[in-house]
Amino acid sequence: MSWDTVFMIMPYLTVVILLSIGLYAVLFKKNLIKIIMGIAIMQNGTNLFLVSLAYRDGYYAPIFTGAESTEMVMPTPHALTLTSIVIGLATTALLLSFTMMIKKHYNSINTEDMRRCKE
Amino acid sequence: MIDIVLENWSPIVFIVVLLLNVLVAYWLYSMGNPEYKKTKYSGDPFISGNRSPKDVKKLHVAGDNLFWGFKKALKRYYDPLIDGHTGRLNDYMIWVVITLAVVLIYLYLVV
Amino acid sequence: MTLDIIIENSPTFILAIPLLFAFLTAVLGWVSEKIGEILFGIGLALTVFFVGVMSFEVLTAESWFYVFGAESPSPENITSFFRITFIADGFAVLATITISITAVAAGIYSYSFMKDESGLNKFYTLFLLTLAGVNGMVLTGDLFNLFVWFEVTSVASCALIAFKNYRGRSVEAALKYMVLSTVGGLVVLFSIGLLYGQHGVLNYALLREGIAGSFTFLDKLALGLLAVVFAMKASSVPMHMWAPDAYGEAPGSVTPFIAVTSLGSLFVLFRLFFGVFSVGLDVAILGSLLIVLGALSMIVGVSMALVQSDLKRLIAYLSVSQVGYMMTAIGVGLATLRSGEGFGDLAMQGGLFHMLNDGVYKALLFLSAVAVIHTTDIRSLNDLGGLAHKMPYTTFFFLFGALSIAGIPPTSGFSSKLLIYKSVYLYSPILAIIALVVSIITFAIVAKAFFNAFLGPDQSLMKRRISKPMLWGMGILTVVLIVFTLFPNVVVAEIVDPAVEGLIGSLEGVLP
Repeated sequence: MSWDTVFMIMPYLTVVILLSIGLYAVLFKKNLIKIIMGIAIMQNGTNLFLVSLAYRDGYYAPIFTGAESTEMVMPTPHALTLTSIVIGLATTALLLSFTMMIKKHYNSINTEDMRRCKE
Repeated sequence: MIDIVLENWSPIVFIVVLLLNVLVAYWLYSMGNPEYKKTKYSGDPFISGNRSPKDVKKLHVAGDNLFWGFKKALKRYYDPLIDGHTGRLNDYMIWVVITLAVVLIYLYLVV
Repeated sequence: MTLDIIIENSPTFILAIPLLFAFLTAVLGWVSEKIGEILFGIGLALTVFFVGVMSFEVLTAESWFYVFGAESPSPENITSFFRITFIADGFAVLATITISITAVAAGIYSYSFMKDESGLNKFYTLFLLTLAGVNGMVLTGDLFNLFVWFEVTSVASCALIAFKNYRGRSVEAALKYMVLSTVGGLVVLFSIGLLYGQHGVLNYALLREGIAGSFTFLDKLALGLLAVVFAMKASSVPMHMWAPDAYGEAPGSVTPFIAVTSLGSLFVLFRLFFGVFSVGLDVAILGSLLIVLGALSMIVGVSMALVQSDLKRLIAYLSVSQVGYMMTAIGVGLATLRSGEGFGDLAMQGGLFHMLNDGVYKALLFLSAVAVIHTTDIRSLNDLGGLAHKMPYTTFFFLFGALSIAGIPPTSGFSSKLLIYKSVYLYSPILAIIALVVSIITFAIVAKAFFNAFLGPDQSLMKRRISKPMLWGMGILTVVLIVFTLFPNVVVAEIVDPAVEGLIGSLEGVLP
């Protein structure tokens, strides 16, 4: 496997690693703050996936007006990523404010203790 | 195609027949004994010959007690089911991941 | 001329008006509560008016694609879909009608139910934002727009569930729903990225052409991810556990509205399966996916509802079970889509009519249960009893909703379930047996709830009287349900048949 191939698949490998770490934190960690951090890591992984979809080797970023050639990387996933970053900000803020209120009511942020709605 | 299934089903006819039956039932009820006098205990529920309790709350069957036989007969089905609903946030996500795995394996194996 | 402009642009107005009034209510309602209430009422009424305008145009004339930013909103020949499109056809009309009926009833009910809460202008803002989000989800014809409205709906509805933040349980339920929705949104974004990388387009119609051309490993992955996430939002088993928490702990008058957002996700799932993915994969496999999930939902939902003692959680589990009915019926319709057998159309009519009915009678059940809880401050069925002596109207509303959900003749629930039984039996008898048994157990469950809450000797549990707007809200739903009960043939021929045609054929042959 040549170095070129390794460099080409490196972003996607990073995406897989980030998503796995984030998913592990959401599934198996009991502290609420760690779960929210896992969600944030998953958001970063998904944004990286979208941006690395758009890349074409040797092309320019689509923000120049007087570029040397008109071959530019695809701009649509960049727009999707910007929207997703803003949405991630809103959801993280809401999740953290819910965590604050749960600490006030239950006096702990462990998912083992917030089980009053059982069955 | 709707006509084939719902052609013979007409709610208006059903309601008219229902009202006719109610009228027939009322006519039968009105043929009862007109000289019935209420005694001291008439209208009370029959609890195997015991007197009905003074406290009204004890007369009414509580919610959990109503289907206890059904739940006890199907105990082997209900115990894992109710234990599966733990209420923990991590378990909710684990179920989503399990379903995702099963659906993807099904899609890849079958086609 | 102006009338033509209004009719042609009605999909925009359905979304723009709740958004505008949401922000106006947040700002001006801070100054005075009265202005907030009036603005909320005007916003809700205008949204329902424009839903009516769009429905009238689609049902009497023809359906159209609404393109944002072209030289005319519905151009003659659509040569390039590089703008965001909305699909205004019979299916979207059915979805928006269901959502609007529930929203109006919940809005009128919450006029007096939420009177003693503070910060009401934020409540109205969140309500209007959720309304805009759900309407956007069912109307859109573009994948990324779907993601945006999906996130708007989940954030707004979670904040609405946690509105009474002095109760710990509401915030806990909202947190659980929010974590699930956020991870679901990320998975949806991942699969949108996969589909974009494969085909280079985001529009449903163009994506359909692309998938018909080549359906690869990555497309199958994206299909599986999308299907599971939207089924999770629609509270199908085994991902249903957020539903009793969220429906049970939300403030009473918006509980049917949260239930309608999960119906909205179900509409989107069906649109994606029929419109985009049914050309690439064998439809029998897609249909069997829906049928298995539906059958599981029916059984588990009703079994768990049998052992509940909390009134709202009982109705929430019943709602999970009814979602199973819809998924099974539409799954049967999908599995027999191009085989030419007649009962596929019947199954879809039954499933879509059941969705329309379900929005109405579920709202009626939830609102009357909340009326009981509001007047007596008791949530558990172990302590309730004898309320029919003092609350005759609520008893009648609950009884009517209970008979509809159990499928007892002559109600409209029976008409839609009759369609489902007949068509599903022709596909596979086991499914029809499961559906019938679940229906009987549903009747047992609502009979238990009715007996425990309303019948029996009078125990004088009422602490406060029921107020007029609550009765008006339930009354509107009852009138609509009576119309559906007495004239099911008319409703199916006028509203459900165009929806079936829209679902099957709306994206076929759009491109020249």
